[in-house]
Amino acid sequence: MLSECARATTPDEARFRIDDANSAPRRIKIVALDQPAERVVRRLAAGRWNAATFITAAKPGAAPAKDWLADLAGHALDLLDQVSTADHVVTVSTAGERAEDAAILAEACTARRIMLTALVIDPTAIAEPQLLRTVAPLRAHASMLVVAKGEEYVEAMLTALRA
Amino acid sequence: MLRREQNDLLTQTGPGTPGGAFFRSYWLPALLAEELPENECPPVRVKLLSERLLAFRDTQGRYGLIDEFCAHRGVSLWFGRNEENGLRCPYHGWKYDVTGQCIDVPSELPESGYCKRIKLKSYPLVERGGILWTYMGDAQKQPALPEYEVALVPPKQRFIAKRLQECNWLQALEGGIDSSHVSWLHRGELNSDPLFKGAKGNQYNLNDARPVFEVVESPGGLYIGARRNAENGHYYWRITPWVMPSFTMIPPRGNHPVHGHFWVPIDDHNCWTWSFDYHPQRALTQAEVQAMRDGKGIYVQFVPGSYRPLANKDNDYLMDRAAQRAGRTYSGVAGIAMQDASLQESMGPIVDRAKENLVSTDNGIIMARHRMLRAIKALTEQGVTPPGIEAAHQRVRSAAVVLPPDQPFTDGAKEALSVREGVAHATV
Repeated sequence: MLSECARATTPDEARFRIDDANSAPRRIKIVALDQPAERVVRRLAAGRWNAATFITAAKPGAAPAKDWLADLAGHALDLLDQVSTADHVVTVSTAGERAEDAAILAEACTARRIMLTALVIDPTAIAEPQLLRTVAPLRAHASMLVVAKGEEYVEAMLTALRA
Repeated sequence: MLRREQNDLLTQTGPGTPGGAFFRSYWLPALLAEELPENECPPVRVKLLSERLLAFRDTQGRYGLIDEFCAHRGVSLWFGRNEENGLRCPYHGWKYDVTGQCIDVPSELPESGYCKRIKLKSYPLVERGGILWTYMGDAQKQPALPEYEVALVPPKQRFIAKRLQECNWLQALEGGIDSSHVSWLHRGELNSDPLFKGAKGNQYNLNDARPVFEVVESPGGLYIGARRNAENGHYYWRITPWVMPSFTMIPPRGNHPVHGHFWVPIDDHNCWTWSFDYHPQRALTQAEVQAMRDGKGIYVQFVPGSYRPLANKDNDYLMDRAAQRAGRTYSGVAGIAMQDASLQESMGPIVDRAKENLVSTDNGIIMARHRMLRAIKALTEQGVTPPGIEAAHQRVRSAAVVLPPDQPFTDGAKEALSVREGVAHATV
């Protein structure tokens, strides 16, 4: 007689796995932190997503303030509102670009216990000091920091997370 | 989650599949050298990438890896006679050399040259570092032999084993790059296993069950850094390299030997988990080797005469609910290797990744899949050689280091992540 585990792991048994949905979509806010990243986020926003909201914080010269964030049509968004209505925040930035202001967003996530994933796109593998400029402000707050060579990883990761 | 067609690409590695072509770009561990211990020893059945093969060592010590079945009537050459520089089928006496070339068909006149027309598929089989490696791809593209440090250190400094794992190779690999499970599934072993205990780093692991991760692409794959709090605001980093297709190294603990794995598909429902330990500076101690033989660390005890773990699905992995309740083991299964394997096999032969719900800390897994899918696409559509083949990609190390908070591990552990001959691993 087959053991419990041997019987349960046959290819035939796999057919009886329940096929219903086993999760509800999480509200994931994807925030572009610089202008190259905003181009990536705009392209992604045109796709089909479950519960993803695409936002930019890439206004040139703008300092972090209450209306620092904007939707992709340019309407100002309240930073705390956005963080408070997220289950997860993903920042997208470009290696070498300034990201100091992202600390404000990161601190808001920390205060509201919202997990922050920071994605840095580094297509040219820039030198460490320049990369640090982007990464250092995020490192203190992000629970996951990814440095990816290609921007296509942003889509791959969001898809994997069912955004 | 992965779409079903993506899951198929990564999990199907048989002949003619894109995933199979990907694996056939690399030298792969095929057998332990101890499995063919002497000239004219018995041949060994080998199944790799869904092909039935036979390994043998001829009269002159040459290794061969050939189609298992005689070209005449399909008899398994496992029954063959290994004699006088070839393997002779016992049915009608057809004989093959290590390249699969038929060198004798007794029923035909030698002058007919008939045997020259018969050749079994064969692959090179080369010993390096106690492992017999094979390359199953296009002969014109055969790369240089592997340069992983474990295969280059003296024999007394390493220990290598393999075990059967009864699930798809990707489930097993993904366990190797999933650092966040260690604080849960293996927490009992960090302070008790003779090959893990005693390291200062273990306390950082146990004191901080919610590590922060950083994933960085490397030329051959990835570095996955898991960061935990240390003293004075510093961070304790454990850095795991993954090199395509399936090499990983566990970050070291104290002065213990460092451990790692290769996962090699047997077919789509089974794989070989290769486990190794080595120390770059010193011979392994008798106690260490004995612990490895006893199934400690990342090793298992075997069903006698086989490479199947003694705790396996047929005996419910010797599940011990009392040990689970008492906290002696977290899952009720003993030993790090079978704690992993039991759960990975429980997913079924090939887990349906369309149903999974990954979270942010799974980015190492997400990135590894992404890079492999990219590599498979580039290989099959443009013939681009995948990462992980060049020596520089393979000469990597894991590391465990304490760094200031503002120093990235790619900077602070830069030297530590490369092989430095005769220099110990960076470890805490």
